Amino acid sequence: MGRLVAMGLALGSIVLPTAAHATQTATIKASFSPERLGAHTTVSLGFRLAATAGIPSPLTGIDFRYPADLGIATSGLGLASCDPAALQEHGSSACPANSIMGYGSAAAEVPLGPEIVPETASIVLVAGPSRNGYLNLLVAATGRSPVAARIVMPTLLDNGHLHISVPLVPSLPEGPDVAVVRVNATIGGKLTYYQRRHGKRVAYHPQGVVLPKHCPRGGFRFGGTFSFLDGTQAQAATVVKCPPNHA
Amino acid sequence: MLGALALTTHVAAGASAQPSQAAALTPHAAAHTARVIPVRDEGRLGFVADSATQIVDEGHVSGTIPGKARVDFTYNGSPTVTARFVIRAAGGSLYGRASCRLNNPTSPTPSFRGALSITGGSGRYRHAHGSGELFGVFHRRGYALLVQAIGRLRY
Repeated sequence: MGRLVAMGLALGSIVLPTAAHATQTATIKASFSPERLGAHTTVSLGFRLAATAGIPSPLTGIDFRYPADLGIATSGLGLASCDPAALQEHGSSACPANSIMGYGSAAAEVPLGPEIVPETASIVLVAGPSRNGYLNLLVAATGRSPVAARIVMPTLLDNGHLHISVPLVPSLPEGPDVAVVRVNATIGGKLTYYQRRHGKRVAYHPQGVVLPKHCPRGGFRFGGTFSFLDGTQAQAATVVKCPPNHA
Repeated sequence: MLGALALTTHVAAGASAQPSQAAALTPHAAAHTARVIPVRDEGRLGFVADSATQIVDEGHVSGTIPGKARVDFTYNGSPTVTARFVIRAAGGSLYGRASCRLNNPTSPTPSFRGALSITGGSGRYRHAHGSGELFGVFHRRGYALLVQAIGRLRY
């Protein structure tokens, strides 16, 4: 993945090897707003990564599982597709408004010399060109400081499962890689789409993901397997309890 | 850009409405003389209800067997969409299902096409079965379906 700018940091120190990695742990969270069966909702997802000592090893992949009967494909989100190259180069401003599916944020820890410097990044979820008929979600993360970089991660929405390959982001040229420690994102929410009506471009708010009218037994189950550069994996799961049925 | 979901059942061309020889050879045929006809129906269906991956649309279809159609359309993000449908026509109803491949899913109006089968019916169509093709366009905003079915019906 292309990198916008290599560094936005004045360097005076020698880059040292990153802190020793230890066993990684992961926790995930998920929620719906509103929590009402049969209703359109905003889905919030997030995860945290930690290490028993030091910072986590850099994340290289996520296998994420979500309830297959969550109406993401029928949400009316992602009515246009964004060119991944344009997204990489210019960010989501280069994408059609109707391709935006959600936003989020990420936090990372950047090993710079002997110090661990925190970094935050903005995330945008965008519909990309379909591959083999599958919905293709582009996850773009843009960090500003200390590492200025944008990565675009294509992922397929496949019936309750999505796999994200996470590219490594060096803190410095040939330096240790940035370690992701937290990600939060929402699918849906306050988005503005546009449609043509009587020859005019009219704004509207897409309704978002549709919850099923009946709750799965035991609730809505989410899970993830996180793969790290050191070859280890961490797993996490959570359940969104069945909301009261107001239908 | 299609902008709508279309379901089409395709009845094989060239079939004619005539008694089936196979039916004539069965004991059952004494009470029921099967007819085989080509069918071509189409219509624009409007959104009625949804639940997660399932959308329910209804509307009038015109063609060989005009009537009111109800379609339960399921799309979970994979390229294969499925539909179960009922057509309430004069003298009876037809039941069936279809499995189709959706093209260009990030379009506002992706199209789909696939195999359709008539699985049963009621009234004058109580012995109905058949097969064909279903074509359609799915309006992702508004959930309307534009469908066309071309097939061969035995009843």
